[in-house]
Amino acid sequence: MKHYDLLIVDDEQRYADMLAKRLGLRGLNCRICYDGRSAIDLVGEAAFSVIILDLQLPDLYGTEVLERIKARRPDNVVIILTGHGTEKDKQACMASGAHAFMNKPLDIDRLLTIMDRLKTRLV
Amino acid sequence: MMISLKEMWAAIWPSFRHKDDEHLNTYYTFHDYRQLWGMGIFVLMATALLPLVVMTFIYYQLLEQSINSESLLRTERVTSNARRAVTYFLEERLAALTFTVNEMSYDRLTNPEHLRDVLSNLKLGFGGLTDLSVIADDGTQVAYAGPFNLEGKNYSDQPWFQTCKQHGACVSEIFSGYRDVPHMVVAVKSLYPDESPYSDGRFFILRATLETERLIQMLASYRTGEHADIFLVNHAGVLQTPSRYYTGASNRVTLSLPSYAERTHAMMALDAGGRSVVIGYAYIDTKIASTTFILMVVKERAAMMKVWLELRHQINWFLAVSAIIIAVVMTLTSTYMVKKIFHADHEKARTMLMAEQNCRLASIGQLAAGVAHEINNPLALINETAGYVKDLFLIEERYKDDTEMVEHIDSIIDAVERCGTITRQLLGFARHFDVQVQPVNLKRMVDDVLSFHKKEAEYRNIAFHVDIPNSIPLIETDRGKLQQIILNLVNNAFQAIDNGCFLKVWAETDEAEQVRIFIRDNGCGISKDHLNKIFEPFFTTKKEGKGTGLGLSITYGLVQKLHGNITVQSQTGEGTTFVVTLPVHMEKEVQS
Repeated sequence: MKHYDLLIVDDEQRYADMLAKRLGLRGLNCRICYDGRSAIDLVGEAAFSVIILDLQLPDLYGTEVLERIKARRPDNVVIILTGHGTEKDKQACMASGAHAFMNKPLDIDRLLTIMDRLKTRLV
Repeated sequence: MMISLKEMWAAIWPSFRHKDDEHLNTYYTFHDYRQLWGMGIFVLMATALLPLVVMTFIYYQLLEQSINSESLLRTERVTSNARRAVTYFLEERLAALTFTVNEMSYDRLTNPEHLRDVLSNLKLGFGGLTDLSVIADDGTQVAYAGPFNLEGKNYSDQPWFQTCKQHGACVSEIFSGYRDVPHMVVAVKSLYPDESPYSDGRFFILRATLETERLIQMLASYRTGEHADIFLVNHAGVLQTPSRYYTGASNRVTLSLPSYAERTHAMMALDAGGRSVVIGYAYIDTKIASTTFILMVVKERAAMMKVWLELRHQINWFLAVSAIIIAVVMTLTSTYMVKKIFHADHEKARTMLMAEQNCRLASIGQLAAGVAHEINNPLALINETAGYVKDLFLIEERYKDDTEMVEHIDSIIDAVERCGTITRQLLGFARHFDVQVQPVNLKRMVDDVLSFHKKEAEYRNIAFHVDIPNSIPLIETDRGKLQQIILNLVNNAFQAIDNGCFLKVWAETDEAEQVRIFIRDNGCGISKDHLNKIFEPFFTTKKEGKGTGLGLSITYGLVQKLHGNITVQSQTGEGTTFVVTLPVHMEKEVQS
């Protein structure tokens, strides 16, 4: 199992925690934040190999967060994970540089596969 | 020929079939179109025909009146002329006799030589006399001039003799007398002159016999028209001159005698044969002597007023023909109008039904989206939690042997996944996705979709009939969505049919505006109760767990997004036809 630094951005705290725990079990180091602004700050402070971003955040909408993250660190890999993203959201996100668009409920193995594929491509 | 007859019949006798789709019934403005149709015809006919009938009736009345007054007038005129002639004829002769009696002395009159001279002079002057005789006051004939020598006869018991004795002059009825030849007698009484030896109040009578032939001819000259008759009768109703049509038993007239009138009169009556006649009559009286004659002129009304009656006949024809034309035109008009109303109503009812269904589906869609939205988050949490527990079991050494637990967790995760699919589909039904417009070849697309099912069809012995003519244009629409629509409907049909059935897909176009795609199966069909629910989310007739009931509602949503509409016709046990109508050119939808 490869070692990634992950950032999970989701306003639903228990979901984010649970996801972090599951990925932790698979040897991934996860950081969690529950709103858009702190996520942007965190990205400013440190580099993450993958950012998992929810679209519906209490302060900022996911697409905006994505754009700001991309503005700071264009090489960051962002995977959108949303409960009810629309086709329009998907197109907007892909246009802004997101690498994948996934729906909740999540199949964790699929997430890992996608991350692996992205990593190999980036490396 | 058959078709045109059928069409003609349909134009007159309309058939309003709206019973076949009963759920439309609540939207019809009028329920009884046949009654409406009947009322229409009745009102139109009444307004058109009533004035015509009233006018004709009035005209009839006027015509009747003028026919009657004209007939009476004409008959009266003829009668009056004939009366004058008859009266004159008799008066002339009476006057001649009076003149003779006054001018000649008794001696000269009783001298046969002289009497013959007088007769021949009278014949020259007036004509119509047969003989002349002088009769004494005891009734014996004193002198005679004429072809029959009846000298010495006694006339005292003859009625004319009595009349003459009383009134001084007389005109007898026509009778056969001693000679057995019809003749009539005119006679005047004269007192003996003063110087004569008999001048003590005694009298003598000068009598002349008249030829009736001349009178009959004169009357005949007044007879005009086909069924016309003119004759004389006496006060007892015995014919004096021959009648063409009204001679009855013992020479009596078959008409009832009119009551006495001083002047000429005309009246309407029915003769013994029941025909309507105009009778003109006059009681004949001369200035010198009264007579027992009644002059009668009888004319058949119909023959007399032929021209008028022909005109009436023409009016009848005109009325009949125009009534028929009006009836036909009104029926056609009413049929046309009511058909228009019916079709408009039908269209309206369909639109209303569709609007109602759209409305219901839209609100159900909103609800479904809301539910899906709210459920998705807890679902994700369940998923992650269950996943985490499973991870613990698989990754941590201490639970590794407990495989039963992992199975339970797997079933939770499976259930969550199924729920996830449903919520995603629900959201798909409610949401407006962008539409990518591009030209689509319908035939190729249907072939593609059916090729997915080729294997299964062969295996189940199901026949495909595809008939998409080349006239179907390229449809500008969203390829993916159209494909999904067709795929859903074909899947649906596949599930409805048994082995050995068929599936038909065909299409038609109208004036390059719309394309209708028909997908027909001869499977189990949809019952009437279910027919207007099938597009609702979660409505399914399948066994629990077999279907989500979202397939058709998603299809419905997709068709809406392509600006089309979808309808279904189904007969239980006979099959189902889905009809998808799509615009050929779709404007690119603006994202809402």
